[in-house]
Amino acid sequence: MNQNTNHVESLVFQTKRLSGTTPEDLNCLHSLLKQSEEILRSESTRFASSLADLDPSKHSLGYLYILEACTAGTISKELANELVLSVARFINECDAEQIRLAPEKFISLCKRFKDQVMQLESPMRGVAPLLTAIRKVQSSPEQLTTLHPDFLLLCLLAKCYKTGLCILEDDVFEVDQPKDFFLYCYYGGMICIGQKRYRKALELLHNVVTAPMSSMNAIAVEAYKKYILVSLIHLGQFSTSFPKYTSSVAQRGLKNFSQPYIDLMNCYGNGKISELEAFVEENRDKFEHDHNLGLVKQVVSSMYKRNIQRLTQTYLTLSLQDIANTVQLNSPKEAELHVLQMIQDGEIYATINQKDGMVRFLEDPEQYKTCEMIERIDSSIQKIMTLSKKLTAIDEHISCDPQYLGKAGRERQRLEFDDFDSVPQKFNM
Amino acid sequence: MDGDDEASAQMIDEIYANGGDDTRPHRPIIINGEQLDVEAYAALYTGRTKIRRLLFIADHCDVVSMQLEALRMAYDEVKKGENTHLFREVVQKIEGRLGHGYGPDPVWSEAVERRAEQRKEKLENELNAYRTNLIKESIRMGYNDFGDFYYAHGALGDAFKNYVRTRDYCTTSKHIIHMCLNAILVSIEMGQFTHVSSYVGKAEQSPDALDPITVAKLRAAGGLALLEAKKYKLAARKFLETSHELGNNYSEVIAPQDIATYGGLCALASFDRAELKSKVIDNLNFRNFLELVPEVRELIHDFYSSHYASCLDYLGNLKANLLLDIHLHDHVETLYNDIRHKALIQYTHPFVSVDLRMMANAFKTSVPGLEKELEALITDNQIQARIDSHNKILYARHADQRNATFQRALQTGSEFDRDVRSMLLRASLIKHDYNLKSSRKF
Amino acid sequence: MDFSLLSDAMASKSYHKIASICDDLMLQVATQGIAFHDEWPYPIHLLGHLYVDDINSARFLWKSIPSSIKETSPELVAVWKIGQQLWMRNYAGVHEAIRGFNWSQEVCDLVASFSDHYTKKMFDLLLSAYSTISIQDTALFLGMNEDDATNYVLQQGWTVDPDSRMLTVKKQPVVKEQKIDPNKLQRLTEYVFHLEH
Repeated sequence: MNQNTNHVESLVFQTKRLSGTTPEDLNCLHSLLKQSEEILRSESTRFASSLADLDPSKHSLGYLYILEACTAGTISKELANELVLSVARFINECDAEQIRLAPEKFISLCKRFKDQVMQLESPMRGVAPLLTAIRKVQSSPEQLTTLHPDFLLLCLLAKCYKTGLCILEDDVFEVDQPKDFFLYCYYGGMICIGQKRYRKALELLHNVVTAPMSSMNAIAVEAYKKYILVSLIHLGQFSTSFPKYTSSVAQRGLKNFSQPYIDLMNCYGNGKISELEAFVEENRDKFEHDHNLGLVKQVVSSMYKRNIQRLTQTYLTLSLQDIANTVQLNSPKEAELHVLQMIQDGEIYATINQKDGMVRFLEDPEQYKTCEMIERIDSSIQKIMTLSKKLTAIDEHISCDPQYLGKAGRERQRLEFDDFDSVPQKFNM
Repeated sequence: MDGDDEASAQMIDEIYANGGDDTRPHRPIIINGEQLDVEAYAALYTGRTKIRRLLFIADHCDVVSMQLEALRMAYDEVKKGENTHLFREVVQKIEGRLGHGYGPDPVWSEAVERRAEQRKEKLENELNAYRTNLIKESIRMGYNDFGDFYYAHGALGDAFKNYVRTRDYCTTSKHIIHMCLNAILVSIEMGQFTHVSSYVGKAEQSPDALDPITVAKLRAAGGLALLEAKKYKLAARKFLETSHELGNNYSEVIAPQDIATYGGLCALASFDRAELKSKVIDNLNFRNFLELVPEVRELIHDFYSSHYASCLDYLGNLKANLLLDIHLHDHVETLYNDIRHKALIQYTHPFVSVDLRMMANAFKTSVPGLEKELEALITDNQIQARIDSHNKILYARHADQRNATFQRALQTGSEFDRDVRSMLLRASLIKHDYNLKSSRKF
Repeated sequence: MDFSLLSDAMASKSYHKIASICDDLMLQVATQGIAFHDEWPYPIHLLGHLYVDDINSARFLWKSIPSSIKETSPELVAVWKIGQQLWMRNYAGVHEAIRGFNWSQEVCDLVASFSDHYTKKMFDLLLSAYSTISIQDTALFLGMNEDDATNYVLQQGWTVDPDSRMLTVKKQPVVKEQKIDPNKLQRLTEYVFHLEH
């Protein structure tokens, strides 16, 4: 008993002594903490009370070990509130360098924090701390952490879609856990859909669908369904053929799990709005069951746009009445409102002539001459140059990797190393 | 005179209502002043094709008198031969409408069939004898006689088998050609046009120079096969290459008039202006064929000199007869549509702007109808123009190369960016998966 | 809760900053475990999103508001009514929703500023989307009576045909900077050089 008290005191003392001076001291503290994991857990209440004695910003590593141990057991509802507050404070104040010495501890703490927040049914409480946590534990913004999907989930639940976007703007390249990646892309896709960032949503969902997988999973199926819908809304078309790098599991299985969506796509291809509406009504339950009815309705209304856009390719002027007839709208007035909306959203270039009841379709006025455009082109070139350099670096890295070389020599046929090989050389700068 | 005008007006309506009228229960095929002269038509052919063509006319023509005339001639023709199956078919179609002289005539049939049995027996004995003696040439002749026998009696499958069997016993390239021509003939009658192509190919590979008539026959048969395969451009080339020495030498398959019609229409539907000029209009050989069907010659010239109204008139007048042609029937609509599209495209091509009312006039259609036709062609990117529906003018559209290039460059850039990033991600996942597997091993 | 940033923005009429200020603040107080719902300036927060045309965020905010709050704040409901009209692209309905409520002191200026902003936006939309438009529709889009609307657009150089009661839109040439600074040109030159050699 006494000995344990001593242990606690000495560990707290060591934490204070060894924190924040030299890297050697920190390493020394880290191994001390690792050795004391058992006592940390068994004496967690005693340690908890000693936390008041420590400064989370200075003694971050010790603080982390103690806090992690305190949250290990089951937590009562009364305590949960307290705990959530203290973890949030710790995440906010802790020193990134120190906690990155024990990332698995930090992540485990954050995961429990997320669980508690969800149990308390106030996901919003976790949004800001998890964002901070991701930034602190990441060695670079290119790294996908296992906290990414948790953060995005909380954003979805708390309806803080805009906040979720900030993390999706980083380009991630390093992935540790396939499951993290699947969820990150799926939740990310949902956030982008909510904010009507369809291009980004498509990119994320595409990544899920085409990711290497050895067995079918529910995330990929749901992502595929949404992928079809968003493609139709944003691009007006969808191709059921997969890129060749898609896993054979996905190529074989996804369509079977998504039959109503494939049928919807085929119906969309016919361009007949009344048929599409009838189809949606018939299969309403299925879409509702998948929580996709809202998106399906957007698919339906996107067809009007698609049909009007097609007219702009053919006509220079066309009467509102003819537009209404062609795209199956009830009146010229309705056609006018559709055209107006599309002008407002920059989806077509046109002017409406109410006097004659005509619409004049115009060419895209962009002349690629403005400073703004040059800026855009320039930044696009810069971006691709950076990417190309990265690509070359990774390519070199992999071709020097003894593990890869061994494997590639032995089993080139079996593994799809196409992914590494098909670097389009002509784009290398 | 008035009646004629009305009739042709009605027919033109039909031609310009593009497609979709197949569902009408009785498509009125109006046979006007230029009604098909069945007798003259039939005189162009011999053998089985003559009968089949007559039956085809009887099946597809709504004018009873013409039907009966075709059937009468078919009856007379079939009686000259030994094909009792075909005879019964003809009798059945006549349904006694031609009186006593055109009945089932069982005495004739039985006599023919009895003779056939005897002949078959004789042929079998002969062939067996040849085979035991192992005389190649005799065996070949034996099989060939069998082929002829089956062909005459309408057993096309057996005829084909026997003709093809002669192949193993051919000793000269002449024999091979003979075999091929027989196989081609039977295949055409069976509607097996892939066989036609392959035997045409075999014959053309012959090491010895072929006589001009055979070459012409092979071209014509090849053209037919391509026509049936809907490869109109290639079919046109074959027909155009067919030497006029073909003459009436291939009447068991095709008449020189057909070469002119098939070749001319396929060329109109699929050739561009330059090709039309060099390969059709300036083609001295083909001119010989065209002289036989002046309407086709005239409509090609009208098309080339942009007299579309006149060209469409000729086409309109020809259509009913073409629909009665056994080989062209299935392709008339497509070819007519393609020719019309070509004409529309060619009409708009040289102009910066086109008055739709004038154009509708030239194409004998209404402005809204023309708009729909043009819409389809623009959507298909066959005409680079846009319709000013307000002022009823078609304006040519000249894509701005500079802007398009910028746009494409930016788009390619962003696609590359997206693809590379997702490729790196997949690479990262594969690497992880691999590391995981190898760590499990240890 | 420290609303000083928000009050500063309101006072200086920097309305475009409101949405992000409120978003950040909300996440902060949520993290601190404070029960903020009852005191939260929802109408301002919601208007802040509408002000910067972020109708999606406005919708998600509305969905996250507890129903008890919605029931007790008619002003909040009135703000959302504007949002709904925007969402449904009922251009005239937006003006009606703005006029249809007696706004409190706190949001009065913000609503007025939003209204001006929206009217300008509508004018720009008419300018880009129409060549001729009826006086009646113009009035609906701009949220004015027909005389005011006519006067408003006549000042912008539009012309009116009194017989057909149609307005002819006068397009304003858009001037965009086309000169580029030499550095940019230099860089583009380098790219080309790089690609060609």
